[in-house]
Amino acid sequence: MNQYQDLLRSYVLPRWRTTSLLLFFLLFGTGLELLNPFIIARFIDAALNGESLRHLITLAALFLLLATVIQFASIAETYIASNLGLKATNDLRADLAHHCLSLDLSFHNSRSPGELIERVDGDVGKLSNFFSRFIVDLLGSGLLLIGVLIALYTIDWRVGGALTLFVLITLVVIHSMRNIGVPFFREASEARAKLFGFLEERLSGSEDIRPNGGIPYVLLRFFEHSRLKFRKYMKALLVGMALFSSSMILFAVGSALALGLGSYLYLKGLASLGIVFMIFRYTELLTRPIEIIGRQIQDLQEAGASVLRVREIIDTQTKVIDQGELHLPAKALGVAFDQVSFHYPDAKDQAPVLKDLSFTLEPGKKLGLLGRTGSGKTTLTRLLFRFYDPTEGSLYLNGSNLKSYRLDSVNSQVALVTQEVQLFHASLRNNLTLFKKSIADERLLEAIRKVGLWDWYSNLENGLDTWLEPNSSLSAGQAQLLSFVRVFLKDPGLIILDEASSRLDPATEQQLDTAINTLLQGRTAIIIAHHLKTVERVDEILILENGQCLEKGKRETLKHSDSHFSSLLKSGLDEALV
Amino acid sequence: MTQDTIRQPTWRYFLRLAAYRPALYLSSGLVASVIFYLFPLLPGLVVREIFNRLSLEAPASNLNTLFLAIVGIAFARQVVLLFANLAENTLHEYINALLRHNLLKRILHHPAAKALPTSSSEAISRFRDDVEAIPAFLSWTIDPLGQAIVLIVGLSILVKINALVTLAVILPLLATFIIFNLAKRLIISSQKANQEAIGAVTNSLGEMFGAIQAVKAAGSETDIIDHFKGVNEKRRQASLRNILINRFLDSFSGNAANIGTGVLLLVSARALQVGTGTMKTFTVGDFTLFVSYLGWLTVVTTMFGNYLGKYRQTKVSLNRLLELVPDSPTDTLVKHHKVYLFGKFPPLPKMPERSAVPFQGLKVKGLTYQFEGTKAGIQDISLELKAGTLTVITGRVGAGKTTLVRTLFGLLPKTSGEIYWNDQLVEDPASFFTPPKTAYTPQVPRLFSESLRNNILMGQEKSPEALANAIHRAVLDEDLATLEQGLETTVGPRGAKLSGGQRQRSAAARMFVHEPDLLIFDDLSSALDINTEKVLWQRVFSQPVSTCLAVSHRKLALEKADNIIVLKEGKIVAQGKLEDLLKTSSEMQQLWEGEGLSETEASRN
Repeated sequence: MNQYQDLLRSYVLPRWRTTSLLLFFLLFGTGLELLNPFIIARFIDAALNGESLRHLITLAALFLLLATVIQFASIAETYIASNLGLKATNDLRADLAHHCLSLDLSFHNSRSPGELIERVDGDVGKLSNFFSRFIVDLLGSGLLLIGVLIALYTIDWRVGGALTLFVLITLVVIHSMRNIGVPFFREASEARAKLFGFLEERLSGSEDIRPNGGIPYVLLRFFEHSRLKFRKYMKALLVGMALFSSSMILFAVGSALALGLGSYLYLKGLASLGIVFMIFRYTELLTRPIEIIGRQIQDLQEAGASVLRVREIIDTQTKVIDQGELHLPAKALGVAFDQVSFHYPDAKDQAPVLKDLSFTLEPGKKLGLLGRTGSGKTTLTRLLFRFYDPTEGSLYLNGSNLKSYRLDSVNSQVALVTQEVQLFHASLRNNLTLFKKSIADERLLEAIRKVGLWDWYSNLENGLDTWLEPNSSLSAGQAQLLSFVRVFLKDPGLIILDEASSRLDPATEQQLDTAINTLLQGRTAIIIAHHLKTVERVDEILILENGQCLEKGKRETLKHSDSHFSSLLKSGLDEALV
Repeated sequence: MTQDTIRQPTWRYFLRLAAYRPALYLSSGLVASVIFYLFPLLPGLVVREIFNRLSLEAPASNLNTLFLAIVGIAFARQVVLLFANLAENTLHEYINALLRHNLLKRILHHPAAKALPTSSSEAISRFRDDVEAIPAFLSWTIDPLGQAIVLIVGLSILVKINALVTLAVILPLLATFIIFNLAKRLIISSQKANQEAIGAVTNSLGEMFGAIQAVKAAGSETDIIDHFKGVNEKRRQASLRNILINRFLDSFSGNAANIGTGVLLLVSARALQVGTGTMKTFTVGDFTLFVSYLGWLTVVTTMFGNYLGKYRQTKVSLNRLLELVPDSPTDTLVKHHKVYLFGKFPPLPKMPERSAVPFQGLKVKGLTYQFEGTKAGIQDISLELKAGTLTVITGRVGAGKTTLVRTLFGLLPKTSGEIYWNDQLVEDPASFFTPPKTAYTPQVPRLFSESLRNNILMGQEKSPEALANAIHRAVLDEDLATLEQGLETTVGPRGAKLSGGQRQRSAAARMFVHEPDLLIFDDLSSALDINTEKVLWQRVFSQPVSTCLAVSHRKLALEKADNIIVLKEGKIVAQGKLEDLLKTSSEMQQLWEGEGLSETEASRN
């Protein structure tokens, strides 16, 4: 129950005004409903006793009026409850998405975006009802139950007693079945999330599947996922049905009990026919709050599964802890690695990606990082961003341990250009600023000019408001250029270029050369490159092999000595001569 | 996309779906609807009998049987409901699986790069919510029958008791029905807006998590969440409007029952007073029956009203699904196909046999593709590709290189032009260009969260030698040795656990494993270091049968090419061997020098 309390406290309690208003409408409607059977009973007895028609019509009119007021109260209640639920879940959704974003990459590398969508959207959606209705319904239903029972006691203590006993038994039965369903619903929901995770991944990679003859295989895997979801769902359904059916049968027992008691009293001359009817109606009225409590408990079971999965994410702590207080200065930054070792959290049994790596880079110098794929180059740069923290050893920026800086300060002073440029279904402006509002349009235009996209830009009808479709409106090269704009905007003290220009054609690449040179000026840079040409703008070279430093030194020195670098240069020459 | 994409009457789609599992459909439909609707009429009759006996002061001894009957009826009803529910949900799962299967198959088969009118994560909301709306409605299609029967039976029981009172109390029911009809436009528009708002939310989340690295590096987590909050808020407003409209309409019908009861009180006041004992025209028992039936008949009428609304909402969902399968035969979405919820899974079909006629060449005439609403694309491309040769497509950023490859192999639907394989016209490039004729590696290859083996083989059975050979050709063997679980290593979502180069070479192995007549790769070496790249090219060409079409601007490739196609602004500006092009084409010269400059400098050193 604790996990529910937490969520209610954080997301519903702050809206206590709305919640109280909701409660008011609920109480108001409940009170009026208690009057309903009473009026009909009075009416029956009045009719049977031959009272005046005028009196009967007054009672009928009163009933009509009451019915109308109840309806409007219930519309107001639905509106307030839905709004409360939507607002609370929106908050939770945003918080959860934010939390996911703040988690380190080991979290994201083990979960597909589709699966996270199902968590942040699907599971949170299921909590909507829980937020808006749970407490209010439980309280409202409880009050209605007590109200009806009191009314029954006033009719006759035996009726009241018998039906109190009935209500208690029913509630105990429902209560005892409460947690049976949770594991079933959880499994069903997991199977569902897996199915959609599977579909999302295949849809986004559809270009790879057909041309390589993978369709039958993907469809087979789809059948497997569908069957799993089907089986889990049917089990959950059976459990849910058992709960529902047993409560419905219990209600029928309640009705029979009420009629039996009423008949007994009537035949003994202790009650009028109107009273018998009233007992019957009140018992029927009892079924609704019990049903609501039962349904809320069932929802709670489903929500329980969702809550567990949401909690699982909330409780996932990033291994990268932001406890630093220092700010990085806005200038070229010195970099140092001191005996850094690292292995990925989910691959502890494998050889570390980086082994006891140490090197320094003076502020303003450019380092060329070379090595086979898988030698640890990308990992090295990821550590600089604190996407991960090293397993052993430390990193230093501007003379202080990387961990002593605020994470946002690191993010604002270190820039990354990767080969894969991620674009959003959003305006060009938002794609460049990544939704930061503080950046002036003039700066955007200036940066667009710098990377040489001005011709492209001036052909856009809507300028910065042009809507980008990530898959169709840009070539990979243009996308790459846009990612350079992002760096220009950031104005960082350290730039990491990871295979940055590898997909640009030579002509475009050259066009960008000047821009890159301007950008690198006065900043420290680490450039991962597979092309010798890219290496030429660096001062120093570091060659990695199996996570260790194979060679490190000044480019000029290495070039003229018998080094790995000089042999690499030769193989580059070979390439040109083949 | 905004206009109706429904190409045949909606009922035809549902008829086809109903015919998919007819026994299940009919049994769930008849049990769930007819019996479901009729059952609640029974307790009313029993209660009436109880009250009648009480008021007539008949012997009370028989009452116990009646009390037991109430419990018995409830029990029987639950048993029936259980079976109805099982049948109905099985039907739902069948239809869900069928629709998803058909959508997935069509998207995979067809111009992949253009298949989705939206992002893949937005498409997920269609695969999820819109798909589920269809069977939910399908199992409602028999309901009107049950509703009609219960209305006829219920009303005739009431009329038999008192025709005048019956007439008075059904008027509010009629009013409800009319109001629902008037509100149809409102329902459909609010539902559509709601669905779209939900799609925007899932899309926003998908992009956010897909771009996690960029978001983190930019430190814009908070800003992107602010943006997300805006999308969320729009969804709240749309949902609230939708809920309110539905609730408002519901309340009309809820009111109808109460107003009906009020009217009943008015009109029965006199009738209850007239006559005594057995001579009474309207007994207290009759009164209770009226109250009970009024409640249930109103619920049924509401359901019927909801039914019309639901029908329109379902049409919205159907439309959104049809948008995923544009320009395809009308029954693509609902075509029958086994979905294997039970029984043995189908064996994977063997790869089509290699044609007896060896591959001689590929010819393209006047191939054109234009992106909708833009001038971008490729125009009037003609080229020829002989077996055993390497053709390289090169050009600047945005020259249309990838578009050309995609159009040629049916990933984008060509606007015009012809393609000939061995001088035979290729009617449908999309279904024609598959292994063992061709295999393809896109610019940014995608792997899937499965084992490396499954990613390469995609379920095909190949000899260990063939697999080893493909891995060797793709220069993946050394990496394999470093992976603890080798080929059984799960690669993580989209292959995230592998490095960029490893992903690319795994995709290359996936292409090589089929030993296709023609290899197509778009910028294969872009994430590879020099040595690996060199080995890779060597191994590609070491197989004498290889015919390759490559998008590249790498020297190594250009020099090896038997034919280079230089693209500029979507058109071929030059074509030929490198040495000739360097003399004749200024575009080629610029491209070459861009790359060449650095290496000449390096060689000088």
